[in-house]
Amino acid sequence: MTNKKKQRTANSGHCKTTQNMTYYHKEINRIRTECYSNKGQLDTVIGTRHYINHNFDKELNLDLLSHIRFTSKFHLLRLFKRYYGQTPKQYLTDKRIEKGKELLKQGTNVSETCFDIGFDSPSSFSTLFKSRVGLTPTEFQKRATFAKCKEI
Amino acid sequence: MKVKVISIPVQDQEKALRFYTEKLDFVKKIDVPISEDSRWLTVVSKDEQDGVEVLLEPSPNHFEPAKVYQKALFDAGIPYTQFNSDNVQQEYERLVSLNVEFSVKPTEMGTAKIAVFNDTCGNNIQIVEML
Repeated sequence: MTNKKKQRTANSGHCKTTQNMTYYHKEINRIRTECYSNKGQLDTVIGTRHYINHNFDKELNLDLLSHIRFTSKFHLLRLFKRYYGQTPKQYLTDKRIEKGKELLKQGTNVSETCFDIGFDSPSSFSTLFKSRVGLTPTEFQKRATFAKCKEI
Repeated sequence: MKVKVISIPVQDQEKALRFYTEKLDFVKKIDVPISEDSRWLTVVSKDEQDGVEVLLEPSPNHFEPAKVYQKALFDAGIPYTQFNSDNVQQEYERLVSLNVEFSVKPTEMGTAKIAVFNDTCGNNIQIVEML
């Protein structure tokens, strides 16, 4: 095969794979290039999210989070919101409620759960929990225990 | 109002039940006969059995536009439904070993990793891991 011929075959091969790609696959590639090409920003927001995942039980604020990623507070806030669609604070609250549910299901009492997931006072924890879950932590735990008994 | 059930149109409910329980590891929750060839059939995630139910509904067999819509989405490779996973790569390998076909292999999309497979009942299903 001559070089020219080889090149043509390679090219047509490439065209074929693009043609065989589904509409969705092409869209994935387009969106990746358009929205997610800034590696530095991605590292910053993903790093921040992981930090929250591992430290949700501690006192976290924007000052601390931005300090860790060497960015300004407002830059981090804007970036996080842009990539995850919610603020770091909103994400942290979701994470804490999710972990709180796990602990309550395992039988940890309400005040212990509250401090284990980084809340300062059981009353503020209960109020927030009720507004998010629809039940107070005590009610949630009762139902979870009841459901477990029923299974057995 | 609360969200308790989401629907997936399936071409064959019995086959879908087998796929969703045997391959995806979901658990059957509700199974009520409605008519000779239709059931109100829901499954839930094994790890979240009090979570949102997935209704495997036989709409493509009873309502022509549903069939047309399902086919158009399928042919374009579009997943109408997605499930979350803690580890998309691991889930991908597990499903491939069970002969599940993927149209999109694990791919990073910025803050998420996604993959798309064929549920053998007319749908592309996407699995997502938040990064």
